[in-house]
Amino acid sequence: MKKTCIAMLLAGGQGSRLYALTRNVAKPNVPFGGKYRIIDFPLSNCANSGIDTVGVLTQYKPLMLNSYIGNGQPWDLDSSDGGVYILPPYMVEGEKGSWFAGTANAIYQNIEFMENYNPENVLILSGDHIYKMDYADMLREHLEKDAALTIAVQQVSMEEATRLGIMSCGEDGYINDFEEKPAHPKSDLASMGIYIFNYQKLKKYLIEDEADPTSSKDFGKNIIPNMMNAGEKLWAYRFDGYWRDVGTITSLWDANMDMLSPDLINLFDEQWPIRSRTAVRPPHWVGDHAEVNHSIITEGCEVEGTVENSVLSNSCIIGEGALVTYSVLMPGAVIGPGAVVEYAIIGENTVIEAGAHVGSQPDGSEEWGVATCGPNITIGAGAVVAAGAMIYESVEGK
Amino acid sequence: MIDLHGIISAYRGSPELGALVEGRTASALTFAGRYRLVDFALSNMKAAGVYNVDVVMQKNYQSLMDHIGSGKDWDMSKKVGGLSLLPPFGFGGNKGDYSGLLEALLAAEPYLRRMKENNIVIMPGNLAINIDLKAVLKSHVGSGAGVTIVCGEKGNEKCHKYVVDEQGDVVSALYQRAGAAVEGVADLEVYIVSKSVLLEMLDFAAAHMRYSFHSDGIAEYMKRGGKVHVYMHDGYTKQINTVADYMKANMDMLCRANRKSLFPVERPVLTKDRADVSTYYSEESKVINSLVSDGCYIEGTVKNCILAPGVHVGKGTCMENCIIMRDTYIGDNVTLKYVISDKYARIETSRELVGSHNIPVVIPRGYTT
Repeated sequence: MKKTCIAMLLAGGQGSRLYALTRNVAKPNVPFGGKYRIIDFPLSNCANSGIDTVGVLTQYKPLMLNSYIGNGQPWDLDSSDGGVYILPPYMVEGEKGSWFAGTANAIYQNIEFMENYNPENVLILSGDHIYKMDYADMLREHLEKDAALTIAVQQVSMEEATRLGIMSCGEDGYINDFEEKPAHPKSDLASMGIYIFNYQKLKKYLIEDEADPTSSKDFGKNIIPNMMNAGEKLWAYRFDGYWRDVGTITSLWDANMDMLSPDLINLFDEQWPIRSRTAVRPPHWVGDHAEVNHSIITEGCEVEGTVENSVLSNSCIIGEGALVTYSVLMPGAVIGPGAVVEYAIIGENTVIEAGAHVGSQPDGSEEWGVATCGPNITIGAGAVVAAGAMIYESVEGK
Repeated sequence: MIDLHGIISAYRGSPELGALVEGRTASALTFAGRYRLVDFALSNMKAAGVYNVDVVMQKNYQSLMDHIGSGKDWDMSKKVGGLSLLPPFGFGGNKGDYSGLLEALLAAEPYLRRMKENNIVIMPGNLAINIDLKAVLKSHVGSGAGVTIVCGEKGNEKCHKYVVDEQGDVVSALYQRAGAAVEGVADLEVYIVSKSVLLEMLDFAAAHMRYSFHSDGIAEYMKRGGKVHVYMHDGYTKQINTVADYMKANMDMLCRANRKSLFPVERPVLTKDRADVSTYYSEESKVINSLVSDGCYIEGTVKNCILAPGVHVGKGTCMENCIIMRDTYIGDNVTLKYVISDKYARIETSRELVGSHNIPVVIPRGYTT
């Protein structure tokens, strides 16, 4: 069977800059935007773009991600001649198995999987971004421009460009230079880490790179520069829709807050639904003394306090007199009566007991940041968690 | 493997539900926002490990079939056994409505004769209940009775009643219109019947053309010396037969104790998942004492209401004591009190619709006003 395009989704990273939130789960499995987990965005984009075969490369703490993805049914990816496949590192005869040594090595180790589908093209995605994109449109341009590799790019400010991978293009539109975190960027087009490769070219460069002992086995550092230097045609696909990396606490919190502005990214869009695997919970209940404003609330929640400018995932309980403002609550969070949670992220099933105070308003200082409480812990009654704190273990009450 | 086969009776007409059953059967009615009444029977059976289930239907069952589908949402879509949807079955002199439960069960007779299980649980599709059927089966088998009836302290006005002895076995029964004045426990219409006893009842029904489960089934069985046992259930229960039942049962869901009883975490109620987005509350929204499903967009004031998925509430709108079904669009500056709105209704800017607690305004499906 021959497929026009299959997708390989890199979901193996540790997401170490999310600290307590990724201590026990892979980053793509982190809850987001109320109903979702981060991986729902690339998976739904694949399904909506007509890509019916997706390999998900897992490595770090994959158990919850594996059972979350399951057979891919929530994203309509459960078909008889395609589907979603979890691809962990594995042993081969005669050798010890090896963990994925870099993004390119991860794909290299899965050439056999890709060979099964004999695809013409391969879409490489990461599982850490929030965005809606029609990959079919990117594929169309890739084929039209007869590119060996098409890289999706987004225009950024020159200041941001110093922190990203920057593409420069010639007059014909093909990429002729690529710099990682340049001090003086030559262009404002940042790589989004979304690639479509011609499969035969991808295979060739992966195999060559694997043989190079000095290589970091990375797309950005090795494969792309190698292809460019060999004179291959690299095309830049411009994307100007909402796109956010959620690899740090601040960016994760920011992106959640962005969900409160339907103009930035419209999750109510029936033409491009973002789907997720959800627990079936009853509709959420807003009580007699509750006040909910400018927020997102998901099923199973019971709100008896005040919730403003916040994003609540399923089954959160907000006690009477509690205040949740500018915060992100992950599934099952419990906020006790009179507790205050402001500018904070509360992990799954974590309990903030009565009268506790987590986070504080921005005060313009260097030290200020979003407070984070990891999953499955308790912040005791009356305890105080400072702005910018990262709490891994339970905290005793006063 | 639990020794229990399931039957859901979704065949009864419900004339007192009026416009709410226009084009649908009572078992397909939206309840508590995101569920349909049949979800309770299906979920309780699934929770007990009962996957071989037949749904007996009669009229207007298109939306019920669409909702239940292959039974996948309750893990009943199996290669061997699983869920069967049974549309009406004409045979012999049958001309129209099934005139009793036994006639409806005769439609499932081939399945019942062939089944491997020794016991059958029969539940109505329009009953809101959350019960541990494993416990009921255990009680049934332990009692040695041929029929076990699940009862509560109180039931509908027109329910059957039974007087029981200390072992819980039925001593005497009073059928229909018994009312509150008569002593005894109330029949909730959930039964477990042994296979051999049920087949005897079906033989009797077919031979004598008498199809009432109570007077022709249970009463005749007791006359033959059979033992009937009662299992008491004290959770929230309501069968929906009238508009008033519908209004009350939904509003009862605003009480946390009732919700905990019908939607316990250890025995969840599953339904066809529509994968909606989370609900968005704008800066002007004000919501009090309401049950709100996912996929809603709220810009107005909502008090004592139940909202199904996908409901839009416009700016300046005030709604109280309403039950709004899915994908209803309510514009700006609308006033609604005691309104039940069916799916896809559109209520335009500045409309005022006011009903009362026992005569709500019912907006039919797809209506624009």
